[in-house]
Amino acid sequence: MTLTTRNIHARIGKKEILHGIDFTARAGEITAIVGPNGSGKSTLLKAITDEVDFTGEVILNGRNTAKMKPWELAAMRGVLPQSTTLAFPFTVIEVVRMGLMAGASGERADIPSRALAAVGLDGYSGRFYQELSGGEQQRAQLARVLCQVWHPVVDGAPRWLLLDEPVASLDIGHQLLVMRLMKDYASRGGGVVAVMHDLNLSAMFADQMAIIMSGTLLTSGPPDTVIQNDILSKAYGCSLTVNTAPEEGQSFLLPHLAMHN
Amino acid sequence: MIADTTVPQDRRRTARRAHVWLTALLVLISIASLAIGASGTSLWGALQKLVSGQPLSQTEQVVLWDIRMPRMILGICVGASLAVSGAVMQGLFRNPLADPGIVGVSAGASLGAITAIVLSGLLPLAAMAWLGFWLVPLAAFLGGWGSTILLYRVSTRRGRTSVATMLLAGIALGALAGALSGILVYMADDAQLRDLTFWGLGSLAGATWAKVLVAGPVIVLSILVAASLGHGLNGLAFGEATASHMGIPVQRIKNAAILAVAAATGAAVAVSGGIGFIGIVVPHLLRLSTGPDHQPLLLNAALLGASLLLIADVISRVIIAPAELPIGIVTAVLGAPVFLWILLRRRGLVDL
Repeated sequence: MTLTTRNIHARIGKKEILHGIDFTARAGEITAIVGPNGSGKSTLLKAITDEVDFTGEVILNGRNTAKMKPWELAAMRGVLPQSTTLAFPFTVIEVVRMGLMAGASGERADIPSRALAAVGLDGYSGRFYQELSGGEQQRAQLARVLCQVWHPVVDGAPRWLLLDEPVASLDIGHQLLVMRLMKDYASRGGGVVAVMHDLNLSAMFADQMAIIMSGTLLTSGPPDTVIQNDILSKAYGCSLTVNTAPEEGQSFLLPHLAMHN
Repeated sequence: MIADTTVPQDRRRTARRAHVWLTALLVLISIASLAIGASGTSLWGALQKLVSGQPLSQTEQVVLWDIRMPRMILGICVGASLAVSGAVMQGLFRNPLADPGIVGVSAGASLGAITAIVLSGLLPLAAMAWLGFWLVPLAAFLGGWGSTILLYRVSTRRGRTSVATMLLAGIALGALAGALSGILVYMADDAQLRDLTFWGLGSLAGATWAKVLVAGPVIVLSILVAASLGHGLNGLAFGEATASHMGIPVQRIKNAAILAVAAATGAAVAVSGGIGFIGIVVPHLLRLSTGPDHQPLLLNAALLGASLLLIADVISRVIIAPAELPIGIVTAVLGAPVFLWILLRRRGLVDL
């Protein structure tokens, strides 16, 4: 089962941001969408979730999303925006519970508190969402999205987490917590598509990486094939050194100190 | 202090318990509204007579059945519709200060009423005879409805309503309606100006069974529609995109909310004039005490709005009895300080 886009052209206002993107993510994997600022990686996710005007097709588990009702889509995928402000003073548990009502996770009353624990927000139930820090708000929203698609596979069909920069506002400890949570979701059969800024975290956790540059798909594949100096310097316009961590053997990047080389 | 605010208990239970308490409050105040009045007619005396099978006196029948009873029912309808309309608009615009007044329903309704008062002399006599005193309420209703439809057309493109455009267009249309009203006021004679002023201040004094029968069903139906929007409005609190991702049919919710508010407010303004603050104060008080979940909030708003308007109405008719103060003055004098107090006390919570 896959999430596939066919020839996506997306525009914001009059400007075309994406120029025909064919992208595929497989269930059971984390697919990281990376690229420089303004490359269109968030717009790609927004096209997949129907938040921007676009032409082309988005196929989710074999079905064209344009032909699906909002509640059918909600039962199949949860979407985490970059940030969410709330108009009214909801408490954290009320926010998370909203996800339970939205999806088809069943009526298990303990799912919201388990989701809160999973994102490291035990004991935050009664706190007001509006009074949390940015990183805490982001994790509370992630818990809500998790509630919506709590079981990674339902009736043999995978469900999807579509996350726009899920760890950008988090400290390093919580970044790891959330990345491991995504890894766990994928390993249990669900699909995870995340727009990422941090190439090192992407290299560590993602199964597939897709690099977007100037509204086109530059390349995609497993991190080993994508984390290459020539590819990255072309995408980001700067020179990077690709190293291998001595103990765990994973690739990591170091930027060069000098301005131009 | 504020950073450590927590809500230990489950607010859903508190909100459900509030259904019972607020219903009890409304029943009590409704009885008080029947019992208290300038004429000195006793509800208890009349009830005693009914129970013992004695006939009611002419005065008792007129005061209780023809004056106080329709007034009480109209008060319940108007109070409930103002409070529910306020709560729905605030949910739709994601702003705790939004109000039917802001989206131009009230301005449109006022324009309709003023047009009717000033220009009714131009109508053929036959039409006047047919419409009678119905002319002003009907015109107010049409004005409110028309301005909402116009506003909706302006701010909806390809089936999507932009809330920001709608708010700004509401301000512009309100100003335009105000200017047109100004021209009519300029043309009005002294007697008409007096009518205009009193209609604008708002009152339940003109309540009759005829008004109840025409406005009541419209209001009850639109409140029922509004009350079914709780889940959708909860989703909209997260923004339209997220609401849609949560499986909410956003456009359908917005359409239903706009139409229900136009009908409820138009009908309420038509029969009672300009009564302010109920739509803002009632949802605020409820959110602070039982939380912002719209599902219990909408029903509680209807109950509390009805109760508060009846209290204001009782005050308005006894405070300078046998004369009567326009109820809009009472709600403003009571509502504005409460509103300010809420803002000052909970500044951290009410994120404006």
